[in-house]
Amino acid sequence: MSLAVDPTAAGRLRRWARAWCVAWRITRLNFRAQLEYRAEFLMSVGMGVAWQSSVIVFATVLLQRFPGMGGWSGADVLLIVGMRMLAHALYVLLFGRVHSLSFLVQEGRLDACLLRPMPVYRQIQLSVFPTHGLGDLAVGATMFAFAVQQAAEPWTAGRAVFLAAGVAGGMLVEAAVFTAVSCAALRFPSAFYWSTWVDELMATFGSYPLSILPKAVSGVFTFVLPLAFVAYLPAGVLTGHGAALGVPFWLAAASPAVGLALFVAARLLWNRSLRHYTGVNG
Amino acid sequence: MAAPARAPHRPWRTAWITPRGELLSPPRLTATALRLTVQVFLVVFLWRGLYAQTDGAVAGLDREQAVAYAVLAVLALRIRELDRHSGRDTVQQHLHHGTIVYWFLRPVAPRRYHALRALGDQLYGFAWVVAGYLLCRSAGVLPPPASAEAGAAFLAGVVLGQLVLYRVMLLVDLLCFWTLRDGAALRIVQFAQNLLSGAFAPLWFFPGWFRTMSDFLPFQATLNTPLSLYIGRIPPSEAPHALLVQAVWAVGLAVLTRWLWHRAALRVVSQGG
Repeated sequence: MSLAVDPTAAGRLRRWARAWCVAWRITRLNFRAQLEYRAEFLMSVGMGVAWQSSVIVFATVLLQRFPGMGGWSGADVLLIVGMRMLAHALYVLLFGRVHSLSFLVQEGRLDACLLRPMPVYRQIQLSVFPTHGLGDLAVGATMFAFAVQQAAEPWTAGRAVFLAAGVAGGMLVEAAVFTAVSCAALRFPSAFYWSTWVDELMATFGSYPLSILPKAVSGVFTFVLPLAFVAYLPAGVLTGHGAALGVPFWLAAASPAVGLALFVAARLLWNRSLRHYTGVNG
Repeated sequence: MAAPARAPHRPWRTAWITPRGELLSPPRLTATALRLTVQVFLVVFLWRGLYAQTDGAVAGLDREQAVAYAVLAVLALRIRELDRHSGRDTVQQHLHHGTIVYWFLRPVAPRRYHALRALGDQLYGFAWVVAGYLLCRSAGVLPPPASAEAGAAFLAGVVLGQLVLYRVMLLVDLLCFWTLRDGAALRIVQFAQNLLSGAFAPLWFFPGWFRTMSDFLPFQATLNTPLSLYIGRIPPSEAPHALLVQAVWAVGLAVLTRWLWHRAALRVVSQGG
């Protein structure tokens, strides 16, 4: 058997396709494994539904009790909520396993990943099927569709493309944040504590106009923990709040690109951190 | 010859496990202090920002009451967030690995061991709450209780609320004896506990149907009742009724969990049968 690697573009494409084929097969196996415990499976989906529904309930409560939140109409706030929920659901489905990296490190399971012929980051994502993400996606997509339908301005092709790019960018921002936090888990297992906190902050403050907060705090949520780029800034561009977002309009409009840049940076940081990882056996 | 079995000395020392583990981990202490401080300031900004759009009270709560409720909820959540998973001492983990059998072989009964561990957790968390409360009071973020009677009722409500909280979480732990995989159930209960107790937002802001539903569940007794007593949203004249509801939940859940411990013990089989 030849071990030579075909260096041509066609060869690279074949290897790329084969690698993703393997990933797809592992995902199918993981899904079947989740179905082994039917009650647990249904409750996991239910958990996703309940969690996302609570965001809707909370948003509805706040909108009813405090109309005109930060100068945003109810429909505009719902667009933030819908974009954030859908972006979060996609993050959970595609990248969410970085959240539990601490446990893989603690249990020594990451060491095995270092020996297999697949990128470690991808192996972590394939470690388990995120069943609760299905519930997240069901509610998130429903809320997103409702918010889009409620929007005051008509959806032109350009606005629709920006909306889709904004959701993808929001997913990448969230993936970037948790990938960066998980770098700490490669050295300190207690980093899970920080990861949980960041998750809580993003869930609490990511779905509402940051203009209700003092400028310094919204600045922190833009430039330190960039949750503003998940939904607030792209939704602000789409709803005509561009002049009052606390950042230059061009930066808000570039939110999807910022998401991509942050994710690339986070992955580079992760690769670098992994090179310095030392397992329990030294 | 084996020594005769003796009653364990000072089993209450089990309660020290969590506090000692935490005190020996300065990064965790620093992280907790930082997280608590930031979280308190954020909820203060959030609720003040929301009330800046309105004139007067909303759902019977004025701005100071809403801020006080939210800050106290943040502090109270500290009691629930201890990470026993890393120490591999959750009932779920012991059942998964089969080590739960040791709980039934030790001289301290499993029910008592579980209660003592939880007591240590809650007292340690309570120390953080008291420290945070005093800091918030001195910083002017938290007002004093609405009245002396409200303060007394609040203290009674906190104790009863913690009893109910312990029983609710114990109920979930005991569920593990009947299910092989119940991570999702645990998360659902923890989530329902936070939502329906008022940890995310004061229950007074929620629609009537939601509050009616929560009245029939034990969760609101863990947090909403004591916090509402503190800020005066439940007046002292209604405090006896609110405290009685908490007591009924505490006693009812105690009876139920005691029976479940008995049933759970019958299901534990050491390896080999």
